[in-house]
Formats: sequence, structure tokens, C-alpha cells
Amino acid sequence: MMPLSLSDVGQMVVIQKISGNDEVKLHLAELGFVVGEEISIVNKNGGNLIVNVKDSRIALDRNLANRIYI
Amino acid sequence: MGIKIALAGNPNSGKTTLFNDLTGSRQYVGNWPGVTVEKKEGKLKGAEYKDVVIQDLPGIYSLSPYTLEEVVSRTYLVTEKPDAIINIVDGTNIERNLYLTTQLLELNIPMVVALNMMDLVRKNGDTVNVKALSEALGCEVVELSALKGEGTDALIKRAVDAAKAGKTSQSREVLSGNVKAAVDKIAEIIGSASDSKFLRFNAIKAFERDEKAIEGLNLSSSQKDQIEKVIAETEKSMDDDSESIITNERYNYITGVTAKAVKKGRAKGELSVSDKIDRIVTNRVLGLPIFAVVMFLIYAIAMGGWSVSIGTAATDFTNDVIFGEWVPGFFDALLGVFGVVEGSVLYGLIQDGIVAGVGAVIGFVPQMLVLFLLLAILEDIGYMARVAFVMDRIFRQFGLSGKAFIPCLVATGCGVPGVMASRTIENERDRKMTLMTTTFMPCGAKLPIIGLIAGAVFGGSPWIAASAYFIGIGSIVLSGIILKKFKAFAGIPAPFVMELPAYHIPSVSGVLRATWERGWSFIKRAGSVIVISSVIIWFLSAFGTVNGHFGLVDNLFEDESIVTESYINELADRMDVPAEDVNAMDASLLASVGNGVSFVFKPLGFGNWKPTVATVTGLVAKEEVVGTFGVLYNYDDSEEELGEEGEGIWPRVAEDYTPIAAFSFMIFNLLCAPCFAAIGAIKREMNNAKWTWAAIGYMTGWAYVLALIVYQLGGLFVGEVAFGIGTVVGAIFLAALLYLLFRKGYQATEADKNLNAVKANA
Repeated sequence: MMPLSLSDVGQMVVIQKISGNDEVKLHLAELGFVVGEEISIVNKNGGNLIVNVKDSRIALDRNLANRIYI
Repeated sequence: MGIKIALAGNPNSGKTTLFNDLTGSRQYVGNWPGVTVEKKEGKLKGAEYKDVVIQDLPGIYSLSPYTLEEVVSRTYLVTEKPDAIINIVDGTNIERNLYLTTQLLELNIPMVVALNMMDLVRKNGDTVNVKALSEALGCEVVELSALKGEGTDALIKRAVDAAKAGKTSQSREVLSGNVKAAVDKIAEIIGSASDSKFLRFNAIKAFERDEKAIEGLNLSSSQKDQIEKVIAETEKSMDDDSESIITNERYNYITGVTAKAVKKGRAKGELSVSDKIDRIVTNRVLGLPIFAVVMFLIYAIAMGGWSVSIGTAATDFTNDVIFGEWVPGFFDALLGVFGVVEGSVLYGLIQDGIVAGVGAVIGFVPQMLVLFLLLAILEDIGYMARVAFVMDRIFRQFGLSGKAFIPCLVATGCGVPGVMASRTIENERDRKMTLMTTTFMPCGAKLPIIGLIAGAVFGGSPWIAASAYFIGIGSIVLSGIILKKFKAFAGIPAPFVMELPAYHIPSVSGVLRATWERGWSFIKRAGSVIVISSVIIWFLSAFGTVNGHFGLVDNLFEDESIVTESYINELADRMDVPAEDVNAMDASLLASVGNGVSFVFKPLGFGNWKPTVATVTGLVAKEEVVGTFGVLYNYDDSEEELGEEGEGIWPRVAEDYTPIAAFSFMIFNLLCAPCFAAIGAIKREMNNAKWTWAAIGYMTGWAYVLALIVYQLGGLFVGEVAFGIGTVVGAIFLAALLYLLFRKGYQATEADKNLNAVKANA
């Protein structure tokens, strides 16, 4: 397992775990970030990411990207 | 009896587009999540539906609100219960959108799913089997393309039928195995405490430990304990928290549904055109320069002094020709026909009051329209959300979220929607801080002020407009750094999560409509508020006491027996102007009132009664600052000069102000308390009188300190202001500012870190 932020642009990866337990985690889940979901990074900007999840593009900051493990 | 139908769906799924189509209203539409922050009601078009009301709601991802505008939707759906729901599902993004659908179905309200953006779905090569989808969801599904108006008739017929029949969808089982058993058990425990219609919904909410839902049920403590036991057991056996368990169950169910009904044309993870654009636009290196160029181009085209600056060209035409010759000429002729002679009260009221005041404002409408048009295009393309993303990396270093940038960008059009856009900010402290600083941005109504100062004093230099913009952004960033060091605002900003909508080519009609709607509201204001305040300003400036005689100051000034040399000298002394510059208006009521307060602005370099009055009238509407100038500098009564309002007053304005004083005046008026409309919006969003006053006080204080530093220290530097006590005060202010910027400040404790706006306002 490694944080999503270490993954390369364009590579398909599967979410293994999302750490933490707060309303942000729930919000991420509503947006499609759930364990077992296949996602890919569209672009990186200094640690901030644009992620393709369930055919929508979600922008995440670096700290949040580090909470998603693949 | 009326029928209420609510539009519910994910942000940016096209609810407002459909709402406008169904009701004929013109609510604002934009291509970024969070455009609609309030619910809007409208009557359905068509004679057969005259008792049907449509309710547009802010977009939501689920019935558990994450940001403030989502609370509005949840409250409406759960407690006010519409007769039917139209659930708009973005067809290009079905899986994520159906998440909300599964929750809405549990509400047991008649519902129709509108599968929107079908034109794009076909273009992407995807196919959706509507019949299979409808079968799998247990509710009706209608294909729709709200933007093109396809499928709306069929949709509304089904929705109205569903509302009339009151038939709810056949529930399909979303949950499975252990989870279903647990929720069933909880439903049993809750029993008669819940309305049987909402038992299932409440049981799931209780399983998720949703405090609001549990509170509404008034359960006994033994019931609560039993429920908690069931939850704990299930959590243990599934090794996950209850909320995640339900989320996973929903997505598992949805995967099953889409497997039956949806075929994707594109392989998963394949780059779309939007993605390719994003690779460049949100690039780590290019992102910021691209944004800077975009903003510079917008201001250059709207306000610059080049050949591409169509806004400036149109404004010059309006000022020189329409309000320079045509309108005053027309009124001259018209008044002549009715025998109203120059010098009479009525002539003065119309030409010097209304035409001069309104003309000074209307002249800037072309520039505003160009600015609004360009901003509308920017919003419609889908660039706004990208800007927030690109700026987040920078803003976060100062303790701000990139999301705070969207209200700022919206505020470059108008401060009121800018203030309201702050609802999408999750962290309560950041939201308050954004409310306090958003109106620093130069809004459309402040353009005339910039235009006047740039034109009259700086020879139309485009750098004045650009500097106004950077002073706005700079003030927001510096305020962010300073305020974050106080305990009330300390803490890291909420994590940045934001959906980026796909880029699309802006629709011509949509962009033109948005431009016109905003521009029209300015023109309407020019015809109402500005007329009234110009008339009041004119009256107060036309009447006064000259050497003990009350009346029209212009006429009294012509009487040599009243206006003696000693009186002129005394007046010049009182008004602080050279004796040869004294004119009739200096004896007016307005001059004496303004003069009484003007000492406040003396340290800023414009302690004269005219700019003082203009600054105060700016509270009514910022463009009225220029309207007031139009009236007050239109004093020369020689025949040919009368009526040249726009640029006609520029030489006189230039005479009265040194460049540094004019710049200081501009800074103060750009940054100080916004107009009453924006103050009202801040008050509504703060929902607290103390905070509202704090916001107004902070903005005015900031404006004063900055203008003083610029005038005193900048003036000393360029040799316009002599060294004196003002220099010392300016230096002290600057030192204090630097101290506040660089001090260590309050360190946030763990508890301070994330104060959710939804919880804070519950």
C-alpha cells in the first residue's frame, strides 16, 4: 500500500484504504472514493491532484491525497 | 390545491438550466459546482399546469450535508416534503449521481429520474438502456437534454402525473446480508416513534449515527442503547464504521444497476479532451501564468487603453457623444420648448443634477457589459473551478483554501453574489474570513471610480486598472495572513475537495443573457437609486447660504452686493481652497456638511468636501461616487461647457488632486465598506450583528490604513507630501502592519483545526 500521491499520472489504481475518520472521509465516499474503486490521476500540481473517479474529475489537495492508499 | 415539485441532483447536473426552461425564469447558470446557493421557486409554464410550482435546489452529493448550501436542500427535501421529486442525473457520470438517487428513493416521495446531458452521452459513445435502468431502480426514468430543451415536456408530464397519483416507487433492496438485517432490526426498535412512511429512511440514518435524524425521533435512552448495540455489532463483524458500510452497500447496488443498463463507449481512465486541456491549464508551471494572462486580457479588453479595448472605446463614445452632445442637447431643446430657461431651478435640476449624475454612471455601462460578458464566458467554459484548484497551492501557504478564490472571482462582477458564493466554503472560520475580505475585489460598480481616476489623473493608463485588481487580491491575501494569526480565525483550512466540471463551449444565448441580466441591473440602478441620489446631491449642492442670504447659490453668487471680497476670502479659508478657485458650490449646504466631516480624510490626501461627499454616497452604490463627481464638478456655467459630463469634468478633477492623492482616494473607495446591498448580503451570511460590524469595521479600517500609508509615505517618496506628523503616523501604521504580518500568532490546537460550517450554523 502507498499513498495515492505517489502514483503516476494516467495509471489505473485501486483504492485499498482511506485513513482518518471525519466528515471529509464521508464526503470523499459520496464523491466515489470508496475502497475497491478503480481510479486514475489526470494531473498533478505540486502535490495537489486531479483524479478521475467514477467518470468525474475531483480535485484534491496534497494532504487529502496522502490519506488515500492504493 | 397546488402541487410542489422539487428539482434535486448533484451540483452542476443542470437543475437550474431545467428550472429556467420549465418556468421561464432566468436564474443564473454557470459551469462550476455551487452556482445555486439558495432555493428558488417558480410557476410551471403552460395553462394546464397553472397550479404546479417548481422548486430549484442547490446541488447536493448526498442527504448528509457537507457545505452550507447543501443544508438548504436537505432541509427542504426531508422536512418540507414536496409532492414529487425530479431527480436530475448527469448521464455522463451515472454511477456517482445514482448515489444520491438511492437516498432520495428512501424518502418515499413520488419521483422521476431525469437522465440529463443525453446529447453528451451519445457523443461520448455511451449507451443507456432506459427501460432496464427504470426497472432496476424501481422508478420512472426519462431522457433529457436540458440545455437543448429536449425531453422536458415528457418529463414534466410524468412528474405531474406522479405527484397527482401520489404513488411512490417500488422500493428495490439496496442493502444486503448483515447490513439489511441490522437496519431491519433498528427499524423494529424505532417502531412507532417514526412515521411509518419514513421508517426505513430513519432506520438507515440511525444506523449511520446521524444526530439530526435521531434527535427528530425523540427516542428513549433504552431504544438508543439498543440501536447502538446493533450498530456496534455490525461494525465489528464488517470491520468498518457504519457510515462507510452504508456507502459501500449503496455503491455495490449501483454497480449492479449500471452493469445492467449502461455501456461505456470509452475505456476507463482514458483521457478526454477536458483532461488534455487540464494537463496544460492546471499545469504546475503554467497554471498561474495562464491565469494571470487571462485576467489581464479581461481587464485589457474591458478597460485598457489599446486598440483591442472595445470596452473603453464604447465608453468613450457614450461619454463624448451620447452624454456629451446628444442627451444634453436633447434636454436643452426640450426644456427650451417648455420655456424652461437656464439658471432656473428646474433647468439646473435636470441638466446639472439628473443628466450629469446619471450620465457619469451610464457612461461606464459599456465597459461593465464587456467585463460581464468576459466573466460570463469564463464561468460558462468551466475555468472557475480550475482557478480554485491552481490557487489552492498558493493560498494554502497563507492558511487559506483555494475555494476562497471563487467568491473573489465572482465578486469582480458584483459583490453580492460573491458574498453568497462563500457558502461553498466548508470551514466556518475561513467562510467568515472570506465574507470579511471578498468585497475588496474591484466589482463592476467600482470600475467607474477606477476609470475616473485613471482617465482624469493618470492619462488613461491601463496599469491603474491592473493595480486596482492587484490591490484587491493583495488585500485579501494580506488580510488572510494577518487574520489567521488571531485566535478567532486560527487553524488550517478545510481540505480541498472539489469537482471539476468538463469544459464546454459556452452557449451564446446563455452568456449573453447572463451579461444582460447583470448589466441591466446596473442600468436599472442608474435609473432609480442614482437618479434619486443625484437629485438629492444636486439640491444640497445648489442651495445654500451665501453671506447670510439663503437660496440658489449660483444666482446669489452673481449678486455683487452679497458676494464681497472679504466673504470670498473667508469662504476660501473655510473650505481650504485658493481664493481664485472659490465657486458658488462652495457655499452650498452640501459643502458645509461635507466640510464638517472632511477632516477625517485629510491624512489620506483628500480632505476636501467633494471627495468626502462622494465617498459617503458610495455606500448607496459604488458607481454613485462617480455620479456625485459628475454633479459636483459640473459647476462651470459657461454655455459650451455645460453638459460635457463624462470626460468634461476630467480636467477639473485633475486640477484638484495630485496623482498620489487621487490614488489614495481610489484605494480608499475600492477597499472601504461596500455598498448597502453587499453589506446586507454580508449580514445575511454572517447571521450575527457583531460579526457584520466587525467585517465592515475591518474593511474600512484596512482601507484607511492602506490609503494613509500610500499617501503619506508614497507622497513623501515622490516629493508631493512634506515630512510631518503624517509621515510618522504612516510609518507607525506600516510598522504595525508588518508586525501583524510576521508575528508568530496564535497556534491552533487540535480542537480548533476543523470547525465545520454546517455544524457551526446548525
